[in-house]
Amino acid sequence: MREAVTTRNLNYSYPDGTIALNNINITIQEGERVAIVGPNGAGKTTFLLHLNGILQNTDGEVKIFGKNVNEAEREDIIKNVGVVFQDPDDQLFMPTIFDDVAFGPMNLELNENEVRRRVKNSLTRLGLTGYDERCSHHLSYGEKKRASLAAVISMEPRILVLDEPTANLDPKSRAELIKIINELNRDGVTIIITTHDINAVPELVDRVYVLNRTIIAEGIIREIFSDAKLLKENHLEVPEVFKLFEVLKCFGYNCEELPLSINEAIENLTKTIGTNGGHIHLHIHEHTHEETEKVKHKYRYDHH
Amino acid sequence: MLDYPRIDRFAYLNSMIHRFDPRAKIIAFLFLIFSIVGLSEVKFALVGLLASIFFLVLSRLPLRFALRHIKWVSLFIIPFFIIMPFTMEGTEICTIHGLKVTYEGVEYGVLITLRALSAVILILPMIATTRFEETIKALERLRVPSIMVQMLMFTYRYIFVFGEEWERMWRAIESRGFRLRTTLYALRTMGRAMGMLFVKSYERSERVYNAMRSRGYTGHQRTLAEFNLQKSDLVLSALIISLGIILHIIQGVA
Ligand SMILES: Nc1ncnc2c1ncn2[C@@H]1O[C@H](COP(=O)(O)OP(=O)(O)OP(=O)(O)O)[C@@H](O)[C@H]1O
Ligand SMILES: [Mg+2]
Repeated sequence: MREAVTTRNLNYSYPDGTIALNNINITIQEGERVAIVGPNGAGKTTFLLHLNGILQNTDGEVKIFGKNVNEAEREDIIKNVGVVFQDPDDQLFMPTIFDDVAFGPMNLELNENEVRRRVKNSLTRLGLTGYDERCSHHLSYGEKKRASLAAVISMEPRILVLDEPTANLDPKSRAELIKIINELNRDGVTIIITTHDINAVPELVDRVYVLNRTIIAEGIIREIFSDAKLLKENHLEVPEVFKLFEVLKCFGYNCEELPLSINEAIENLTKTIGTNGGHIHLHIHEHTHEETEKVKHKYRYDHH
Repeated sequence: MLDYPRIDRFAYLNSMIHRFDPRAKIIAFLFLIFSIVGLSEVKFALVGLLASIFFLVLSRLPLRFALRHIKWVSLFIIPFFIIMPFTMEGTEICTIHGLKVTYEGVEYGVLITLRALSAVILILPMIATTRFEETIKALERLRVPSIMVQMLMFTYRYIFVFGEEWERMWRAIESRGFRLRTTLYALRTMGRAMGMLFVKSYERSERVYNAMRSRGYTGHQRTLAEFNLQKSDLVLSALIISLGIILHIIQGVA
């Protein structure tokens, strides 16, 4: 397996002096699904802008498939790394959706048939068939979001970078987008996202980096979610299901791995009930109150 | 939603002019516009105006829509119409408040008005019968410099975004009790809000540029477009262009 993205000692300050990134070391293997999480202003977006050389930076190193972003041919990097920005209005600038999706392939100087094939594929994949001649300023936010993803996957990148892909979407659009991203991953595309949508994390990725100007922690989701102090210091949350099972534990439920999603919860309950002779037993014991208070306290941000 | 001045609002209609190939349409009508603007006699300019109206009717654009556009441009023409009769030397017709009105002046005023009106009217069948996207592509195919085409394109695309951004800002301002009056305070607030819009737009332009570079933009740009010239397009262009030429020939002979 190849290393898709590697950064070494990456530092970045904005021209006005704001230190946005401090000594970032990250390694992401090809085919991985990774999330970068952290509080507002942590430098997540800034980091993503480094991955295809938009922010040129000599203080540190960013490598894509072993090639240094600053030294490699621009086209080489762009072909490999597709970036979907947060605001689709920034990303859709052409007269029609067709032109927008064709924009990247045209810049790669592919021939017309290939461009048309890619546009068609991308639009179909995103459920936008028939949108070719629509103009983006009259689409809904969800449609714009899908169109901006189509405009990037038409370049058939090996690494897909998405800044807050699920923000502002209704549950259906959100679920559809997650499904599409995962399908792309199954085709071998490496996925890197930033997000504040903690419930989407278990569905979208396997591994998490906690970023707050510098890399605070790295690990599989469950590890990160189990570190209450880490979460609180970096303004993070865990899925409600995860919390619920922590509460159940206070009532005597026996559970080693807390479930991260509804599916995992069902699995967990089924298994536990199965091994306990067809039922589970919850009760209030002498420490229940104390423990539930602890759980409540652990996830509160409104007092100190 | 703001009521955007969408010139291509009726591009979906179906008429002979709507079906006209966008490239041929632009060339033919531009030729006719220049030809009419170059006429020097009132009676021929009148024929030009009638021809323009004929094409407008042929394009089936709603009269109200056409009048709204013509109305605005007329505001610029009327001053000429009024001033010309008083400022040209020549045969006196009458005197108003000691100002001499000349025959030549009236004639020239009428000529300018006829020419300008024809041009304004012809712009409608030329531009309003094609979706703006198509017009842009047609310009690109006609080898109009890329920078001009791109400028037009971005203006058209982001006018909506900025319009909405302004609308949101204005709503926020008004919902906190601001009313537009001609006080210094009100004007200053307006000025600041516009400044903010400018800064926001500038920042957006950076983000858009980043998005463009991410997809391989280097300054040149091509789009794919399917235009195919039909025989009927050629015939129609030939007719329009000959009309322009004939007006000049007859004027020269007469
Ligand atoms: N163009 C800029 N000029 C100066 N400072 C900037 C600029 N863009 C971002 N910053 C600053 O850099 C820091 C990191 O910003 P960034 O947008 O990368 O954070 P983020 O993690 O993406 O935050 P969010 O979760 O709110 O999107 C912030 O302190 C921000 O104020
Ligand atoms: Mg961000």
